[in-house]
Amino acid sequence: MNRLKAIGRILGRRLGELLILLFAITTLLFFLLRLSGDPAAVLAGEQAAPEQVAAIRALYGLDAPLPVQYFRHLRNVLFLDFGQSLHAGRPAIDMVTERLGSTLMLGLFALTLTAVLAIPIGAWLGARPDARSRRVGNAAIFILQGLPGYIVGLLLIELLAVQFRLLPSIGNRGALSWVLPTLTLASFLVPKLARVVAANVTEAMREDFIRTARANGATTAEAVLRHALPNALLGATALISTQFAFLLSGAVITEWIFAWPGFGQLLIQSLQRLDFPVVQAAVFVTAGLVFAVNAGTDVLFRLIDPRLRNQRA
Amino acid sequence: MSVDQAQTSPGRLGTWATKFGGNWMLGLGLAIGLLLSLGALAALLMPLPEAFSGSLMTRFKAPLSPGYFLGSDQLGRSVLARLAVGMPWSLGIALTASIIAVGVGTAAGLTAAARPGLTRRVIQHFLDTVIAFPALIIAVTVIALVGRGFFPLAVTLGLATWPISARVIYAEGLSVMRREYVVAADLLGVGLARSVLVHVLPAVRPTLLVMFAFTFADMLIAESALSFLGLGVPLTATSWGNMLSESRQYLIEAPWLMLAPAGMIVLAAVAFNLIGDGIALRSRGRSRSAG
Repeated sequence: MNRLKAIGRILGRRLGELLILLFAITTLLFFLLRLSGDPAAVLAGEQAAPEQVAAIRALYGLDAPLPVQYFRHLRNVLFLDFGQSLHAGRPAIDMVTERLGSTLMLGLFALTLTAVLAIPIGAWLGARPDARSRRVGNAAIFILQGLPGYIVGLLLIELLAVQFRLLPSIGNRGALSWVLPTLTLASFLVPKLARVVAANVTEAMREDFIRTARANGATTAEAVLRHALPNALLGATALISTQFAFLLSGAVITEWIFAWPGFGQLLIQSLQRLDFPVVQAAVFVTAGLVFAVNAGTDVLFRLIDPRLRNQRA
Repeated sequence: MSVDQAQTSPGRLGTWATKFGGNWMLGLGLAIGLLLSLGALAALLMPLPEAFSGSLMTRFKAPLSPGYFLGSDQLGRSVLARLAVGMPWSLGIALTASIIAVGVGTAAGLTAAARPGLTRRVIQHFLDTVIAFPALIIAVTVIALVGRGFFPLAVTLGLATWPISARVIYAEGLSVMRREYVVAADLLGVGLARSVLVHVLPAVRPTLLVMFAFTFADMLIAESALSFLGLGVPLTATSWGNMLSESRQYLIEAPWLMLAPAGMIVLAAVAFNLIGDGIALRSRGRSRSAG
């Protein structure tokens, strides 16, 4: 009962943050769009006649006073009505939501790969603080961390798609085309996660409960796997929530490199076409995703960490 | 929290570096950074016609051909000269954006550290909310609306990323505010603003420098990423990101068009990460030997 209350409080706080964020974003975009020129002229296109611009101004209510436009816009956004895409002529929010699945699947695969690669590497590095292999491993992580993810993506294309022609590098056609985008997106987070896991395992190895486990006859492997690693993974979960924004940025670039039909590609295309309704819908959905992940990890923390479970929010 | 801890937190190398000592990292990083800055200055002063005009005769020369050390591109222009011409763009934007990000971040972070209560809570809440949102998505959207160019890009990048500096400076400033000499100044009636400027700001200087170096590396990567997405510097300008973006069409016949700017971006980013780590290690060593 107490636990449910705590979870409710977390969700409430996050929901409040979400509302403030959405309000701020909507306002910022609205006024930036008005400041950057005449939206009607932008909507009509460069070669439009003055009558066409006037028609569009009337159609979108751009002839009303600015405050009226603003509150009308806020009301529409409240009902997830961002208007029609200027490019496709369909409701903008639908175009974004139908692309979301592709992005989320890619993100899920990349996160799984990140965990599969980074957790063993991190545990191995963290469990042997003095070995030379640890120095080599840390140096490798440092260099990898200096490599921007999109450059990793380009290098992967050059090597695996262009030189050796092993894998497709464009679009989503069949299982093989998932390989390169997944690897690229994973490369954004693997070095960070491996370092956090390594640091946490090293720290946990110094704790009393490890000494107790050793005294009871646990081998190093047992001590790491059964006692140090579960502790370290808690920090790893926190990393995923704090780095989710970074992962989303990475997904946008990755989708652009690989022409991946996700919502990041749609966002960049819409920005290049100045298709503002779709841009607003995409930014709005991004905020929703950020909220869902942060609230989700907060709750998850409560459920998996016995120390937090009994604490007050 | 001790000062040490706050200063180590931005460190990106961890224990590996302590085995070697911090100075070679600082030295190597500064050497590369200095070379790049000189190169950028030279590129601003020298006319480099090879960067702008070429002919079909000089198209797609492989690296190490005579006159084209790093090869030539689809229009027969020298890749090396174009890298040089791109330097002022890439480094200049990163520099301006870092000054804005660290400047605003310091102001906000120290304000939050100096003023407990509502001000601090509002700033903290704001930072938490903004940091959770993908900075790249904010930046590309704003750029698309306000237009491309040196200053729009630099200002947008700076304003999209200052919360990260603010959070680090806040943590550091908070620990300095609790030191005895700052508390003593307060008791002696030194005003808060003066106390922050005279006592706290100098004490957080190493952290400022570290944050500046890391931010510079991140901004360099961000600028090239935005240009790569076609939403950075003007399409006609020569920047490393634009070169990368163009190179995608010629991956088969001319991979060096991608590898050369990619190498420069990585080199510059690693150099500034080295500088940041070097400063962090040095100041940590100093405060350790002092206390």
